[in-house]
Amino acid sequence: MRIWLNEQPLDLITGMKIRDALIQADLFQDIEKGSRVFDEWGNEVGLDGALQDGCRYTLKKTD
Amino acid sequence: MKQILIFILNIIFSIFVLQHVCSAQSVDLRILYLNDFHGFAAPHQTAGNQEKLGGIAFLAAEANRLRQDRPALLLAAGDMLQGNPWANLFEGKSTIEIMNRMEFSAMTTGNHEFDYGQDVLQKRIHDARFPFLAANIQGLTGIQSYVIKEIAGLKVAIIGLTTEDTPVTTHPKNVKGLKFLPATETAKRTINELRNQSDLVIVLSHLGLPADVQLAKTVTGIDLIVGGHSHTRVEKPMKIEDTLIVQAWEHGKVLGVLDLTIQDKKILHYDGRLSLIKPDKNKVAPLILEIVNGYQKQTDAILGEVMGIALVDLQGKNSRFQETNLGNLIADILREETKADLAILNGGGIRSDILKGDIRMKDLFAVLPFTNHPVILKVSGQDIKDIFEYGVSDPDQTGGRFPQVSGITVSFNPAHPAGRKVTGIKIGNHDLLMDAYYTLVTNDFLAAGGDGYTIFKKIMENKDKDSAQSSRVILFDSGRDIRDMVSDYIKGEKMISAKVEGRIQKEK
Repeated sequence: MRIWLNEQPLDLITGMKIRDALIQADLFQDIEKGSRVFDEWGNEVGLDGALQDGCRYTLKKTD
Repeated sequence: MKQILIFILNIIFSIFVLQHVCSAQSVDLRILYLNDFHGFAAPHQTAGNQEKLGGIAFLAAEANRLRQDRPALLLAAGDMLQGNPWANLFEGKSTIEIMNRMEFSAMTTGNHEFDYGQDVLQKRIHDARFPFLAANIQGLTGIQSYVIKEIAGLKVAIIGLTTEDTPVTTHPKNVKGLKFLPATETAKRTINELRNQSDLVIVLSHLGLPADVQLAKTVTGIDLIVGGHSHTRVEKPMKIEDTLIVQAWEHGKVLGVLDLTIQDKKILHYDGRLSLIKPDKNKVAPLILEIVNGYQKQTDAILGEVMGIALVDLQGKNSRFQETNLGNLIADILREETKADLAILNGGGIRSDILKGDIRMKDLFAVLPFTNHPVILKVSGQDIKDIFEYGVSDPDQTGGRFPQVSGITVSFNPAHPAGRKVTGIKIGNHDLLMDAYYTLVTNDFLAAGGDGYTIFKKIMENKDKDSAQSSRVILFDSGRDIRDMVSDYIKGEKMISAKVEGRIQKEK
């Protein structure tokens, strides 16, 4: 499946999670610094959240 | 004339009576919901967050308080039984005991509910005093397609739906003989059956929010989707067409609350929110806390049990710099369990030593603190060469990429230029063949390209012509993590020894 993280396409396999997408994009360390992942409707998603083909996510720095 | 007047009065009276009968009074109903609990019974901290959230005893107190105001249903949208030692060590029994005490109304069957196998799942269904739902799974005794709950004079139909990806995200034996039907078609068919028997139709979904949105757009007749699987923090209900969609994040960090006013089978008014759960000793459900603590005590005892004896010091801390005997042991177990040709793990994932003497489960948690599962890939000889060129190329060897291996011998010269450091590779006793294919087992972290192993990313992206799936992935998630494989091995063998054998040879 293909998803987008910060507008960058990532090819992942079924079963991979938000955490895997961040590792693949080399962005996981941003989570430890306080960033969060949001879906295309603006909802925060957990790191173990399931991904679905075609979805778009954004990593945002939060307070 | 008098007769005409009586006739007209009769008609007026009949219309008045009919109107009164047809427009039933509005009813207030509260839906409380939870999803993707994964056995996180105690309050816990998450990455990048200083504050502890969750704790099922605190969530239960909040649910009890909210149930006093108006009639309420308490629903769980799947993945409740697996994911944390507190639940895993009891194969989900601890979670069911809590859910029974909290008087859950229904639960949908999440993909991770299958991770202990079908026999265990059936025991958990038997233990539960609420229905396990999944209209799109055929072949598992005990699972219901739907349930109709009668509450406050309403008939509320609750239909369960489970992700169709389940067969490829758990070990094939866990779903053997089961059929996972398309969720949308199943929903349409079941709603047609139920719409006339109910005042409100709820889909209790473990499909993930994007699929829930799609479901709401394509299937009419769903009043509410209570979702899970994507671990989404839906703070306010979403309205897609005529359907409301809610989801309560993950791990019991929030309790979902949705207030509905219903009249004539229609939602007249809704108001929803997520109630953040924080530990507060004044807002705790004592009976739930008692169950949590009871299982925690047993968990601590199990983690403290002696599983085996280390006959030598098992050194793991140096795994990010050099071959270690503990790295070899773990890689050997992984290769043996999965019957792969070779195993590779990142040295950075092995965090501690086990000293000569008793081995306890808690020692293993210190060695392997990350919950990783094995991934089996089909790789070419050239892929293996590329993997090890990268693996031995870290100049200061601090990044965690240094490989710990089994089934393979690699020699390298750090003085050689990048891309030509590897001087020899043997698979078993045979030289590596560049155009041959081998089965390689690693962990999900490396498979995702962790520690900079982009070569694994490329392997995973190699697709079949006719499928969106990678042609190189033999098994992605067996539902059993690497730590469990190692602990089972230690429990079986009892006397544990391992040595450094020159699997990774550094030429000078």
